[in-house]
Amino acid sequence: MAMSNDIKILEVLDYLPKHIRQMIRKLPEETLAGIEEIRLRLGKPLCVSGCDLELFITADGKDTADAGKAYLVSGDDLKSSLQLVCNFSMYSVEEELKNGFVTVCGGHRVGVCGRVVAENSKVRTMKDISYMNFRIAKQIIGASDKVIGYLIRSPDCIYNTLIISPPQCGKTTLLRDLTRKLSSGSEAHLFQGMKISLIDERSEIAACSLGIPRNDVGIRTDVLDGCPKAEGILMMIRSMSPEIIATDEIGRREDADAIIDAVNAGVKVVTTIHGSSIGDFLKKQDLSRIQRGVFERYVVLSRRNGVGTIEAVLDGSFNLLFDINQK
Amino acid sequence: MGGLLIITASGLLGILFSNRLSSRYNELKNLRRFMQMLETEVTYGATPLPAALRNISNKAEGLISSFFVCISDSLTDRRFYTLWDAWVFAADTALADSSLQRSDIELVKSFGSILGGSDRADQKKHFELFYLQLKHQEDAALEEIKRSSKMYRSLGFLLGIAVFVVLV
Repeated sequence: MAMSNDIKILEVLDYLPKHIRQMIRKLPEETLAGIEEIRLRLGKPLCVSGCDLELFITADGKDTADAGKAYLVSGDDLKSSLQLVCNFSMYSVEEELKNGFVTVCGGHRVGVCGRVVAENSKVRTMKDISYMNFRIAKQIIGASDKVIGYLIRSPDCIYNTLIISPPQCGKTTLLRDLTRKLSSGSEAHLFQGMKISLIDERSEIAACSLGIPRNDVGIRTDVLDGCPKAEGILMMIRSMSPEIIATDEIGRREDADAIIDAVNAGVKVVTTIHGSSIGDFLKKQDLSRIQRGVFERYVVLSRRNGVGTIEAVLDGSFNLLFDINQK
Repeated sequence: MGGLLIITASGLLGILFSNRLSSRYNELKNLRRFMQMLETEVTYGATPLPAALRNISNKAEGLISSFFVCISDSLTDRRFYTLWDAWVFAADTALADSSLQRSDIELVKSFGSILGGSDRADQKKHFELFYLQLKHQEDAALEEIKRSSKMYRSLGFLLGIAVFVVLV
């Protein structure tokens, strides 16, 4: 059963020390609903932020714009938080720490920052963590309404789609809702619904907990949780006979290779990449194999009019189908 | 009649002492066995500690089982926010009624300061060191049993006889 967004912030608060949790809970309901990030910085004011909102929190749970009055985060706060986030077991999040963030129950991403221990120019682990960023994942039903029309080819087929977006612009929220709609079908678009295999490497899209997706990702969706993308794509093609493969944040050569395999097997692909324009996508050398002739639709996102603003939709030859500047 | 009672009582006391020593040895051996299971959960399964400890507690019995359950529950309930606090609390409560000596319990406690705090490779090294230390305690316990058990048993009876003789 999908979780209400009001409960989402409570899931994240569970990973904060008791006194900080209580401080934040005292904030008014509307403020809580608008929070997207909670930041802990060693020795600095406790801070929450969201779209058009940035507040410091005082020790008695009031919000203030004055950093001087805010509660200062202590070393113990960070230690406790880290223990909670890692479930008291650093070894269980070894791989995630190398990427600088841990995904906690509910699909929320907790970014961590501290002293990196490197080996042969690669990150081995991180210690002395002094900065943490709790990003609250919310499911927005209808996030894909404005764009889905461009991606549907026929009642039972879609275009290979790439969503290009800078961080914090709603890329994952869009992908999640798109997966849900494409899987369950859309009467408004005369779309039947297709079988989707979702490779949820960071457990953020479906947010599976003990095998149960916390987010609604559609009735015809099979979720592979926590699996590296390239391997996951191949596994699902062989085992779950998908009509669409959905995955988030491609970037490596292996990812590109796996996408080519999927497309060659007749499977449609919906995926995302970090960037602010088509140009950013075309500059990535590791993805050179998929820069031409693979994607048939490009969706570019920004925060211009709030999270999830659609800047442009382009076709496979980079012709503009929608441009925010020409609305 | 009274004399027989005194002899029996002293003898029993002696047996109790020697049983306590055997108990200590068995508990140390058991502890090492279940720590090895915990190591497998940690280094192979990368299972987070609350779940790993619960899994092991289902296989263990008695005090060791209560020790693990106590830690697992107190973490899940958020009674404690660090493994160290939960571990020390459990050692002081669940192991208090055991036959383990103070040095054994201190050793167990010190392991709680590194458990869950580093990557798999590092945890494995700490586990191995812990086994060596536990084995050392076990060997010392076995030595003590050999030395003392005979002594305690016979001393008990002798004391009884001596008291009997004095009274009579």
